[in-house]
Formats: sequence, structure tokens, C-alpha cells
Amino acid sequence: MGLGRKTRRTILERKAQYFGTAALIALSCLLYTLFNQLSFNTDAGTAAFVTDYAQEDASFVTAAPLSGISGLEARFGLLIEQGESFDDTVSEGRTLRVFAEMSKVNKYAVIKGRPLSAENDLLLDPAYAKTNGISIGDTITIRGSSFTVAGFMSLPHYIYPLKKESDLLNAPGSFGIAVIGKDKYKSFETESHFYSVKVMGNAGTNADAKLEELKKHLKQQGTVILKWMNTDENPRVTLSTSKMDSMKTIGSIMPVAILLLTCVLTAVVMQRMLARESVIIGTLYAQGYRRGEITRHYLCYPLFVALGGAVAGTVLGLAALRPMLDYMTGYFNIPIASVSLSITHLAVSLLLPLGLLLVSVYAAIRRKLVHTPIELLRGGGEQRKTGFLERRAKLDRLKFAAKFKIREQLRSVPRSLFLLLGVALATMLLLLGFTMKSSIDYMLKDSYESTYKYRYEYMFNSMRQGAPPNGGETFSAAPFASGPGSPINFTAYGVISDTHSISLNNRNGKPIAFDRVVITKPLAERLNVKPDDTIKMVSKLDSRLYSIKVDEVADSYVGELLFMPLESFNELLGFPAESYLGVWSQQPLNIPDHELLSSSTAAEMRQAFDSLTQPMQAMLGVISLLSFMIGLIVIYVVTSLIIEENKDNISLMKVLGYRKKEVYSLILNSSAVTVVLGFLLGVPLLVFSLKAMYRSLADSAGIVMPVKMSVVYVGVGFVIIYLIFELSKAMSKKKIAAIPMAEALKSRAE
Amino acid sequence: MFVHLHRVKKSYGTGETAAVVLKGVDLELGKGEVGVILGPSGSGKSTLLNLIGGIDHADSGTVTVGGSDVTGLNDNGLVEYRREHVGFIFQFYNLIPNLTVGENVEVVSHISKAPLPIDQVLEAVGMLDKKSRFPRELSGGEQQRVAIARAVVKNPQLLLCDEPTGALDFNTSRDILKLLQSINGDYGTTILMITHNTAISAMAHRVYKVRDGEIVETLANASILPAERMEW
Ligand SMILES: Nc1ncnc2c1ncn2[C@@H]1O[C@H](COP(=O)(O)OP(=O)(O)OP(=O)(O)O)[C@@H](O)[C@H]1O
Ligand SMILES: [Mg+2]
Repeated sequence: MGLGRKTRRTILERKAQYFGTAALIALSCLLYTLFNQLSFNTDAGTAAFVTDYAQEDASFVTAAPLSGISGLEARFGLLIEQGESFDDTVSEGRTLRVFAEMSKVNKYAVIKGRPLSAENDLLLDPAYAKTNGISIGDTITIRGSSFTVAGFMSLPHYIYPLKKESDLLNAPGSFGIAVIGKDKYKSFETESHFYSVKVMGNAGTNADAKLEELKKHLKQQGTVILKWMNTDENPRVTLSTSKMDSMKTIGSIMPVAILLLTCVLTAVVMQRMLARESVIIGTLYAQGYRRGEITRHYLCYPLFVALGGAVAGTVLGLAALRPMLDYMTGYFNIPIASVSLSITHLAVSLLLPLGLLLVSVYAAIRRKLVHTPIELLRGGGEQRKTGFLERRAKLDRLKFAAKFKIREQLRSVPRSLFLLLGVALATMLLLLGFTMKSSIDYMLKDSYESTYKYRYEYMFNSMRQGAPPNGGETFSAAPFASGPGSPINFTAYGVISDTHSISLNNRNGKPIAFDRVVITKPLAERLNVKPDDTIKMVSKLDSRLYSIKVDEVADSYVGELLFMPLESFNELLGFPAESYLGVWSQQPLNIPDHELLSSSTAAEMRQAFDSLTQPMQAMLGVISLLSFMIGLIVIYVVTSLIIEENKDNISLMKVLGYRKKEVYSLILNSSAVTVVLGFLLGVPLLVFSLKAMYRSLADSAGIVMPVKMSVVYVGVGFVIIYLIFELSKAMSKKKIAAIPMAEALKSRAE
Repeated sequence: MFVHLHRVKKSYGTGETAAVVLKGVDLELGKGEVGVILGPSGSGKSTLLNLIGGIDHADSGTVTVGGSDVTGLNDNGLVEYRREHVGFIFQFYNLIPNLTVGENVEVVSHISKAPLPIDQVLEAVGMLDKKSRFPRELSGGEQQRVAIARAVVKNPQLLLCDEPTGALDFNTSRDILKLLQSINGDYGTTILMITHNTAISAMAHRVYKVRDGEIVETLANASILPAERMEW
């Protein structure tokens, strides 16, 4: 059918609209593809730990070496392997935990470089290597032996290399892990060992039962188990998965929402375009074109936009996948052998825009073809009706310019809605970046710096009594859960009542005295408690249940923490009076290494938090940039739609002696109110969705953040949105200038 | 002479595809007079009117209106000229569809220095009672009345009409012509009108016959016929 040329020419004539909407689709497909394929690959990576690298299901430590391992394996259908490690103090405050290579369980995964082959080969965790400036091929010395760094690896039970289990954050500047060959390890003659267990086969829920059986059997045999931990409570594994979850929460919901919205927005634009074609449709119809032929012709336009946009966006998303994946795996320590693609996500990205647009345009054409050719030639069905709002608007007392602009907005409610939603979406994305950034900044600056007043923290490896080292302040800490089997974990601190190391404020900004029981706000929110409520807590050390009355809630987001006087802490847990587990101080203290479980500095904590939120921050940067582009495209497309639909009017105004500036102002500023309204709509929508998102972040990743929306950021957001508006106006001026006056003289009225 | 054209030439396109549309036109119309341009389709009538109205530039020659040289004006000068001095009426009315009758008139009144009161003008064209209707709710004749109201509200010195009755039936056409005639009488507006209908020449002081880009004949008419007595 000879309409092919018309399609091409129409698209080229209205570049702004067709290429603009295609770009909008492309952007959201890019986002969708990138983030979802990213999740798919990191999920695959996590799964690979379990299957390919035989992640343990539990680990335990016994008082004496375990004998008859192969008998136990056969009897319970398990894999059991002894694991070994020792801590090497590389330098003052820097520890490297060296593991012996394991062959059955917890096999190391090479992330970069090559596996162990030579005797003096060693593999490092990438974060430690990066922070300390160690590259592959470098030589490092451990206890007098020199090793060559063969590559970087991740261990299935140490994905997130925490020095101790009670740590929340890893500090790659001061702690890292390494793997060396089994034979080489033997030469160091150390004693520390543990056993890793993996349930064979597709055990699923059965695994826990099998592990219980094993535990019971060992106890019956008289084996003393010093420590037992199932993998699902191993923070070195769960913290990594939760970091990933935090990324996935942001990365999965949002692109889907954006994709759906842009599809709806684009459908609106397509329908507007169609509405303008009434006369042409009528002419074709009158000249004997069949409905099918006309329908097929007009489906070319959404086909172009959806297919072009989706293919371009998906391809770009796939192209960006590898670098993004490399960046993410750097943080999550998971092995990605090769990039694999989820067919489902690929199909959604390619077909969702196509489906939605084709269906909506198809419906619109069919609705048009219900009319007779004559009706269409006269302007076609709906166009002849005056909108309800248009008729009802009482504008008599307004100035002409105001009247004109309001009428322009009322003229097409879908068009105005498109603009409204588009601007709201851009506002949300933009402020999302800003708000999360200010939440993170707030947590770092306000919370960490104002709460932790000490500079050094030393944890002893055994209970202490008597005077602390000079300049130190005593404290104790222990891990708890909010009930047996509860997923809500927190750390309880015993601090001296006149502490200078910790400072907390209540809701009114007044300092809290430490002669009472205080919990932080995130913990209070998760436990849903108010001051004077009593909470239950189970010690993760001895599984005993305690209950304790909360006196005050601190307005601090440093973590899920409970503070109580040190005496009460000792009393509650049955520790000797005046005993303590750690000291805080302003200066470094001279405590021998062998007495210490760990030492850390406040600066390290901040660093660690920064690294925890870094993938999120990177994503926020991407989102802010995208929001700018989405805003620009939406406003630009609407502006060019308005110009297109006002071609005759613009031409007429020129003939009637309107100055350039007056035409620009009337036509281009008509959407200013809608832009402002879109912004105003975006702000509460964001607060609402951010609250929901933070809640799911707290549930999935345990990151509790306050919704901090500063007036300054809202103001900056508004300025940016308005600048985008001005920019798109500037881009559109040429178009208005190019409309010839003769247009008004030749064309016929509606 | 109020409107004076001297050797005005205009062609479109360049090189081989160039088409000479006006080949040196001379035209004179006195203040307060009604002029009618007759001629076959494509002979250059609209082009001529556009040059006088300052919508287009002449290639050579001069167009003087009310003593000022329109051909010497740049684009901004032409805007001010149209804004202050010229009213336009088109064959297809060209009202802004989403503005009411009153608002369509306001489109012009709000940019003029000394507009006539909108209601007075609407009253004059007999459309005051339909002030808040939308164009699509009006007949063609009614729409043309609104277009006339829009053109005269700035009280222009020159009213240019390109086939104002071209799309209307006999009775409606006569009403519109009556209206134009009364505007000419009441406000002393100079009117230049294109038409295909030779009968309309009866109401004109001067009649110009255009053929192939040239005015081949100019007739002066001493006995003006009132529009209501015109027949065709
Ligand atoms: N923008 C343009 N570009 C090229 N040629 C043009 C342009 N405008 C008009 N013409 C040509 O100029 C000639 C005169 O056109 P014009 O519109 O003045 O005719 P007209 O006498 O008003 O005809 P009608 O009675 O049909 O309205 C025509 O041959 C037309 O093709
Ligand atoms: Mg013409």
C-alpha cells in the first residue's frame, strides 16, 4: 500500500515526538534491562556458591579433633571437611586471616586471576587487595614466607569478610582474608580448626533436620561442641545477600514502574497524534481504503516507537551490563563466570512496550473507524465535542493570557496528564536521588559523628575485671535476637553511666543519660516499642531469654542497638560485677595483640558504612541522571505536541501582529502551571513511595534509614525541573519561528 | 492615495523552478474606499493581498500604506505594522477552536493600543448573544461574523479580506457584505477584498482585474450599490 512514504515523512516531520517517545521507551528499557539482568546474574552468582562451590550448611568447632568423619558422612548423607585458619598481623591494626584451601566444602571461587597452583600461591579477597593497593602478581609475606598473589577470590562462607561475627560492617583497610594451598598451610603448624558441613543432594528443608540429627549424634558420642552455626545465621553470608537485596529492592521495583509509566505516557502521545490525523483517515477511508489497511498503516507508528525504543534501550542495557556487573561483583564478592541473560526479562523489555502501544493505538484507530468518512473529514468524532472542563471553565474575569493558557491545558486532558505524570515521575526520581543521598549523609555525618565520640575500640578475647588501661573507658557488648528464632538481631551494650564515648539525644534533641535502658530508633521501629515497654531478648551466646524494660528511645540511626548501664548488663547476664569486654579511648592504647579479639577505629566504621551504601549511591547517581533526561524528554515532547497542535493558531497570531515574544509566551508558557503542579504532585508521591521502599530495605537488608527530605533539596529539585522546562522551551523556539504565516491563510478551520 | 503599489514584483522559488507570481503591479486605493480584486485562481490575488498586509516581502517595487513604506520594513517592523494598522478576514474564518467567541475577539483586542469595546463590536456583528459559544458550535456565517469582529476590534485603518464569502451561501454572503459595508461607513475603514464573484464589484469604489500576475484592468465605480440590493 502506497502509504509507506507517508509514514517515513510523518516521522521525520515530527521528529521531536516520535524520536522523543522512542528515547523515553529506550531509557526505561535500558534501566529495566540493566537492573534486572544484573539481579539475575548476581542471583546466579549466589546460587553458584551453593552448587558449584559447595557452600557449607553449617560449621562447628569442637573441643577435640573429630574422628570418623567418613563414617558420619555416609551415615547422615553429608560432606564434612575440616577447615583451618590463622590470623596474621600484617602491620599495626591490619589483620589477614589465612585459610587453608578446602576440597569438599567451601571451595574458593576465583573472581579474577588464576587458581592456586604453585606452592607459594595465594588468593586474596578483592576489597582488601584494592584498599591496600595489592595487585595480582605482587608478593606478600606471611609469617616469614613470601607468597605471590595469584588472583582474587571469594569464599562461600566468608562472602562478606567480617573479622568477627558480631561486626556489622567489614573494614577492608584493616581486615582481609586469604587462601593458600593445604600443604603450604601445614608448614605453619597452627591449631585453629573448625568443621564445615554440607548436606548432600537436594536437601531443601530437610537440611536443618539432618544437621540436628548430626548435632544430637555428636553430643551422644560425648563430643563437646564449642560453637555451632547454621549458614542462614552466618552474617558473613547473610550480610552479603542483604547488601544485594538492598540493591535489588531499588533496582527491580523502580525500573518496572518507570517502564510502565513511560509506556502509558507514550500511548497518550500516540493517541494525540492519531487525533490530529482524523481528516486524513477520513480521506483515505472515503477513497476506498479498507479498515484493515488503514489500521495497519497507523500501527506502523507505534511499531516504530516501541520497537525502535525497546531494541535500542535493551541493547544499550545489555552493553552496560558487563561493566556494571564488574563494579557490583567488586562489592558483593561473588563469582560471575560468564554473563547469562534472563529470557523473561529480555522478553519483557522488548515486548512490553510493543504490546502496550500496539494495543492502545489499535483501540484508538478502531474507535475512529466507527465514524463515517464524512464525520472524520469534518474533524472526526471526539474532536467536535467541547470538553466538559472546557465548557465549565469560568474564565471571564481572568486576563487574556491566563485564559488562553488554561484553555490550552484543558484542550487535551490526556496531553496535560502526560505532562503532569511525566514531570511528577522526573521529580520523584530526581528527589529520590537527593533524598537518599541526604539520608545517607545524615546517617554518616549526624548519626555516626555525633554518636560515637571515641576514636579507638578494643574488644578483649576474654572477660576482664579491674581498672581499664590508662585513658580507657570500659564497656561490654553482646549479640541478641528479639526472641527465639527471631530474625531481628541487635547488639546490647553495657556502658558506664558517665560515658564520654557515646552520646545520644532523645526526640527533642536533649542528651540522654546512660543510667537507663536506651534503644535506638531503628530498633524501636522494628520491635515496635515505646518507652516503658518491656522487650524480650535472647542471647546469641547462651540462648537464654531475658526481658528488659526500655526507658528511652534515642533519635539515632547508627544501627539497631541497645544501651544499658554496665552494672545492669553484668547483673542481667550474670557476669561478675565490674567486669567488661572492651574499652573505648581517645588515644591508641598499648594492649598486647593476644589479649584482643579485635580493635577498630571510628574512622573505619564510617568507611565501612560508606562501602555498604556505595552500590546504592552509584545507582542513585544513575537514577538522577536518568530523571533529568526523562524530564527533559517528556517536557520537550509535550512542548512540540503543543506547537504541532497549535500550528494554525501560531501562524494566525503572527498574521494578527503578535510579536515573537508574545507568541512564545502564550504557547510555550501554557504548560508552566502543569509543570509546577507535576512537581508538587511528585513530592508527596515520593515521600510515600520512599517510606515504602525504606521499609522493604529495612526488612530485606536491615538498613534502617530516616526519610530526610531537606527543604534545600526540594528547592534545588524545583529549580532543576524548571530549568529543564526552560531548556525545552528554548529548544522549541526555532520551531515556532519556522511556522509560516501562509499556513493560516490556506488551511481550513476545524 | 492611502494604498499605493508601484511596480511590485514577486516570484517564488529560485532557478529553473522559479515562478513569477506578480510581474510589476501598480495599484491605488483611496482612504475610506472599498476595493475589490477579481481574477482566476492562481493569478496572484492572495499574494498581492499578503504583500499589502505585510505577511510577505515583495521582491521589488514599493508598497505604501497610509504614507509609510511597507516594503522598507524588516520582520519586526512588519509585526508592528500588522498589529497597529491591518485587519484580516479569511475565507475559512480561522478562529481558534478552543477559545470562545468573546475570547477569539480578545485575541486581537488584548494586543491593540486602542481597541473598541469587545461587546460593542460583537453587537455590531450580531454575535453578542453567542459570546461564550465555541466556534464549532456556530454556522459558517456566524463564524465569519466573529472573524470580522476580531478584525475590526483594533479599529484598523485597512481591512483585508481574502474571499470572505467564498464558503458561504447567497443570503449569508449578502449579510456579511452588508456588515463590511456598514463597517466601512461607520468607521471609515479602507477595505480591500478578493472575490471570485463579479457581482460584488457593485459595492466597490474600485475594481482590479488580475490575470497572470498583472492588473489588466482597473475600474472606478461611481454608483455604489448597497449590499442588500445586490443579487447574483
Ligand atoms: N509559497 C508558495 N511557494 C510557491 N508558489 C506559490 C506559493 N504561494 C503561492 N504560490 C503560487 O503563486 C501563484 C499565485 O498564488 P495565489 O495564492 O496568489 O493565487 P490566487 O489568485 O489567490 O488563487 P485562488 O483564487 O485560487 O486563491 C500560484 O500559481 C501558486 O502556485
Ligand atoms: Mg487566494
